[in-house]
Amino acid sequence: MVKLNILLAGVGGQGIVTMGRMIAEAAINEGVKALIAETHGLSQRNGAVNVHVRMGDVYAPLIEKGSADYLVALEATEALRNLYYANPQRTIIVLNNYTLRPALSKAKEMNMSEILEKLSAFRVYVFNANDIAIKAGNPKASNAALIGFLWSIGAFKDLIEHEESFYKALRLESNIKAFKMALEEAKQLL
Amino acid sequence: MLTLTKLRYLLLGNEAIAFGALSSGVYVAAGYPGTPSSDIIETLMKYGKDRYVEWSTNEKVAFETALGAAMMGARAMATMKHVGVNVIADALMSSSYSGVEGALVIVSADDPSMWSSQSEQDNRYYGLMALIPVLEPYDPQSAYDLTIKAFELSDSIKHPVMLRTTTRISHSRGPVELLPPKEPVNGKLIKNPQKYVLVPENARRNRVEQLKRWERIQEEVEKLNAVEEGDDKVVILASGLAYAYVKEIIEDMNLNPTVVRISTPVPIPKKTILNVVSNANKVLIVEELEPVVEMQVKELLYDNNIHVELHGKDYVSRIGELTLERVRSAVGKLYDIPITEPQVISVNPSPRPPALCAGCPHRSSFIDLKRGLALASLSNTFFSGDIGCYTLGVLPPFNEQDSALEMGSSLGVINGVYRATGQIPVAIIGDSTFFHAGLPALANAVYHNLPAIILVLDNRSTAMTGQQPSPSKEIDIAKVAEGLGVEFVKTFDPFDMKNAIKIISEAANWVKQNKKPAVIIAKRACAIDVLETLKGKELPVAEVDENKCTGCSICYDYFTCPAIIPLNNKKAKIDPLQCIGCGACVSVCPYNAISIKGKPPEGWEEAWLS
Repeated sequence: MVKLNILLAGVGGQGIVTMGRMIAEAAINEGVKALIAETHGLSQRNGAVNVHVRMGDVYAPLIEKGSADYLVALEATEALRNLYYANPQRTIIVLNNYTLRPALSKAKEMNMSEILEKLSAFRVYVFNANDIAIKAGNPKASNAALIGFLWSIGAFKDLIEHEESFYKALRLESNIKAFKMALEEAKQLL
Repeated sequence: MLTLTKLRYLLLGNEAIAFGALSSGVYVAAGYPGTPSSDIIETLMKYGKDRYVEWSTNEKVAFETALGAAMMGARAMATMKHVGVNVIADALMSSSYSGVEGALVIVSADDPSMWSSQSEQDNRYYGLMALIPVLEPYDPQSAYDLTIKAFELSDSIKHPVMLRTTTRISHSRGPVELLPPKEPVNGKLIKNPQKYVLVPENARRNRVEQLKRWERIQEEVEKLNAVEEGDDKVVILASGLAYAYVKEIIEDMNLNPTVVRISTPVPIPKKTILNVVSNANKVLIVEELEPVVEMQVKELLYDNNIHVELHGKDYVSRIGELTLERVRSAVGKLYDIPITEPQVISVNPSPRPPALCAGCPHRSSFIDLKRGLALASLSNTFFSGDIGCYTLGVLPPFNEQDSALEMGSSLGVINGVYRATGQIPVAIIGDSTFFHAGLPALANAVYHNLPAIILVLDNRSTAMTGQQPSPSKEIDIAKVAEGLGVEFVKTFDPFDMKNAIKIISEAANWVKQNKKPAVIIAKRACAIDVLETLKGKELPVAEVDENKCTGCSICYDYFTCPAIIPLNNKKAKIDPLQCIGCGACVSVCPYNAISIKGKPPEGWEEAWLS
């Protein structure tokens, strides 16, 4: 049985639901089953949001406790909020190099080094997806850049074989550009 | 590995339900927005141009619209979130007595774990109470298939049918294979008062007919459930979404029980279940929330004198949604297999609740209200809140929601608050909620001279559920209030803080003096709608003058616009990616340090204020 569990975390408005859909569409383009559990409604207004992406031999919409293969955070603090799904032996964590203060009175926020310290038990990649998105001409394309990064570290192996499957799913030219630029960036990082 | 052979679409469960309705020839569909149900009507509006689809003022009107159409022989559907079914309960009971001519499907989208709701009530109970069959899918494909079955069942029995979905069906996306849409089935004028006028004589006859239809339904549901044969000594009954979790866990644990996939939790397929449990040594019932299937199975076993070890809610909690770990634990107990839970690390970063958007007029209304009431010496009041984005007024720095119970509660509750305490209360209600359930309570307030301040936040939209249209675009709330006999009615722009404070304090003083209700309307469009209207145009942006900013923190700590960010030196900075140039923060800064840079685009004023 081949299964892949990717937990996407971030802040409402960052394009997390779209990111889940783009990954699942790439899977469907290859004839691989994919299920996504999305967060809709009020939490999309600058609140904490997560999306469960599962593919392969899966039936249930939610990832089991400690069973994420990848935990991807578009806002780095949100990785910490979703550690329930992660497990140091199994989970690879990918952080967008970006933090956002909650829009609350007197809110406290952690910086990247504090976040990384909390994640010291894990294998963690930090990636500048926002920079790539801006360079690609679409500040909202951070999600596409992160998909490119996941592809370059082999996250979809045994499930998605063709890079082209992502192009159709990414839809916008600027998304595809961000995806490709992420591959270049990843080469230098890895 | 599971591979997909045919052409499939990646659809949300809700989209699958909408396409299922189109493939069933639905002609009239109505709903009221509510998470997790809203995408069904939205999808029908997009793809069912040859059908009649509407957002009604509330669920009861939506249901009666569908009921009326089904009485005329059409195929009809009403959609709502679980608590919306409470609003239709009266009509629902009657529809089960009268039956229909065409087909009537009610979609109840339940919300286990209360992701966007005030309760996690299990609406399968409504089926037991109203004697209406309940169909329950387990993934987007089965949501599509069962929608078609629901229409077929309703049409063949001439009885309403409920399709019960949950957040993890409605808002899960998966591959769905679609059939082409079917020609819509419309109605013709049918008059049958003996059936539809529920005077006692007719109602008593209908009651007998209702139970006859219920017997036929019990026969019909046998076809809708499936048995996956395995070890006949161990049986797992899985209702709706529980099947997806059970299937994955038994594959993962390499177990081979007999699994009954229950698509009709109400009524349960008695013959199918009797057949499999007769040989079993152990039975586990997995269902989300309440023991609806479990109660019926226990009754069935008692009636048939079957004694078997049976587990249900003793192994699977009735609180919150199902998860793989919860089902694994239940199956482990059933087989006496010890389960070792993975060790997870827990970190609690500061909470990140949803926040009012940059440019949201509600934020300004809450600030204005506080200041206006202070000016009239009425700060110590009860803020009776309601359901909408503005429920976020419960959070600091606003703290202006002392209760928010259900749609329309703000206006009803203030009557009791005043009668019990003699203190003038404030009701805060949105425009869509005002039309949904506010009108009868406002009439009551006038009727009984209730001294209260009623603030309607008119953002021209049903915003929280995704900017569905609101009746306020067509019907002037001020005229409605005047028409109902409210003597003090004034409208203000919440961004014009000075005038807003003046009107709010005037209203408060008027209520004190006259001991009657006053209605004040804060009118300015939802910022998301404004952005949509002005899409593609360059927007102005706010700017902080560093020399004037003293770092007093009012803008980010007491106004809390997400686009205003504190710097390390406590001074404020505007995040140009989030700021939409609305200008609401300009009058908030006591040092005049914030200004707007850039010219507003054409159509700016109209987008915000029309």
